[in-house]
Amino acid sequence: MSAATAVYTTPNASGLSAAGIVRSEWIKLRSVRSTIWAFAIVIVTSVGIALLMSTTAYFGEEAIPADLQTSIVAQASTFGVYFGQLVMAVLGVLVISGEYGTGMIRSTLTAVPRRIPALLAKAVVLFASSLLVGLVSVLASYLVAAPILGNLGITAEVDGVFIGNLLLASLYLALTSVFALGVGTALRSSAGGIAAALGIVLLLPTIVSAIAGFTGAQWAADISPYLFSNAGSGMYTGGEFEQWQFALIVVAWTAASLVLGAVLLKRRDA
Amino acid sequence: MIHAQALTKRYGAKTAVDDIDFTVKPGQVTGFLGPNGAGKSTTMRMIVGLDRPTHGGVTVNGKNYAEHRAPLREVGALLDAKAIHTGRSAYNHLLAMGATHGIGKARVNEVIGLTGLESVAGKRVGGFSLGMGQRLGIAAALLGDPATLILDEPVNGLDPEGVMWVRRLARQLAGEGRTVFLSSHLMSEMALTADHLIVLGRGRVIADAPVADILSGSTRTAVRLRSPRAEQLAQLLQGPQVSITTTEQDLLTITGLSAETIGDAAAGAGIPLHELTPVGASLEEAYMDLTQDDVEYHAGTTTTEGALR
Repeated sequence: MSAATAVYTTPNASGLSAAGIVRSEWIKLRSVRSTIWAFAIVIVTSVGIALLMSTTAYFGEEAIPADLQTSIVAQASTFGVYFGQLVMAVLGVLVISGEYGTGMIRSTLTAVPRRIPALLAKAVVLFASSLLVGLVSVLASYLVAAPILGNLGITAEVDGVFIGNLLLASLYLALTSVFALGVGTALRSSAGGIAAALGIVLLLPTIVSAIAGFTGAQWAADISPYLFSNAGSGMYTGGEFEQWQFALIVVAWTAASLVLGAVLLKRRDA
Repeated sequence: MIHAQALTKRYGAKTAVDDIDFTVKPGQVTGFLGPNGAGKSTTMRMIVGLDRPTHGGVTVNGKNYAEHRAPLREVGALLDAKAIHTGRSAYNHLLAMGATHGIGKARVNEVIGLTGLESVAGKRVGGFSLGMGQRLGIAAALLGDPATLILDEPVNGLDPEGVMWVRRLARQLAGEGRTVFLSSHLMSEMALTADHLIVLGRGRVIADAPVADILSGSTRTAVRLRSPRAEQLAQLLQGPQVSITTTEQDLLTITGLSAETIGDAAAGAGIPLHELTPVGASLEEAYMDLTQDDVEYHAGTTTTEGALR
């Protein structure tokens, strides 16, 4: 039990780096089943819905104007986003609440004690992979729906606007997962986080439109396009505002949720 | 080297760690002892920045943990064997932890080998026993080959072979000049593993000394005797400095008198003795001496005088 003469010193080897932290979060995301399931469900349901919509479509005998044809194809390709947004919201919450639930968060924050870089890395990885999955699902849905609708004489004019709308739909899915990540970070529990995220994405627009419908309250009608998922569908379908304005609204929601999550993550004991 | 200064943590009105100062030196194994709720885990969590001190602070190798360029290479910590996502394999857990610091597959496989996890590395952690979870936690702590190791109850849940392994590992790491700080509720374990002890009670340091000093400082040198006329002998031996306790009918435990005095007294009174054994203070008893007033949660009715010894 004698004390050693030499004091061990840490070798001057690689330390924390942004690339390393992102790589770590990527390994984490790909190595749990919930991610694989969520992404598979997003793609499969989107394609399934596109298939269902295009095979059951009936437009009568009259000729359909070209821009309406394009919008029918776009709708069949992106309708799956309504379902996909719910799965992305759940996944976004689980990415962090799963760590709180299992205690993994303590390992994560021990490796990245400044904390915020770990959350940002999660956001980057989640955004990139959700965007890719969104693109795959929207593109696959288009490839399934277009030939079937084509047989019915409905073809899209595939121009910059059309492609832009498919991209914006994918972007909305990616922003939804990051928005939910912020919610999950603030609430730290899977049940609470999923309830809150789905409440905002799914329930809030319904409640607000019910209030507007029943009471005729103008304020309810006024805030409606600013709600997360209303602005989200506005991103790729248009509406009261320009599409880029809708995109800004969704980005603002996402940034607010991420900042709230970051502030609480930094401040609280883990 | 871990250095705590005026370290304090309060949760609302409750003070978990109360203005403590201590230094954990390299090249030796420092044990961290204290009853449940004494503040050991809170202190360890503050060292790696998981909990924020209310007052004071603690540094590792001269800096706050979070200020190091490569925290995992400075400190390896096992704070909670269950701080692992249950849905991920052990290998991927270590790979993800290491990736933050640019530590790659080669080192991950090395620590898997070092902790004997080869056969289960590909399995999901959710199915791990407590012992395997501990080994994985130790593997994660060793990833960065750190100069300081903080292990909270590392032998918890390990089989005897695992306990021996942790003991050897701790001694080996300290022998290489590293700082090894480990907590355990097993005093006997500390006697075998630690060189130095920091004893915590109700958030305060009640002892900070080499193990040998704490042992010799104990007042509990007792004599155990067995006699068919124990009751009569007990009356004979009573005195102001003498404490006698009975746990069985024929059995007395006496402190304050030497075995010689007791034997002579028994012989003088013609009382037969069936056993007369001086009992040296164990670390456990020394520890109980130190913490007796500081146990936060007394174990209700089952804690009799006899059981406390």
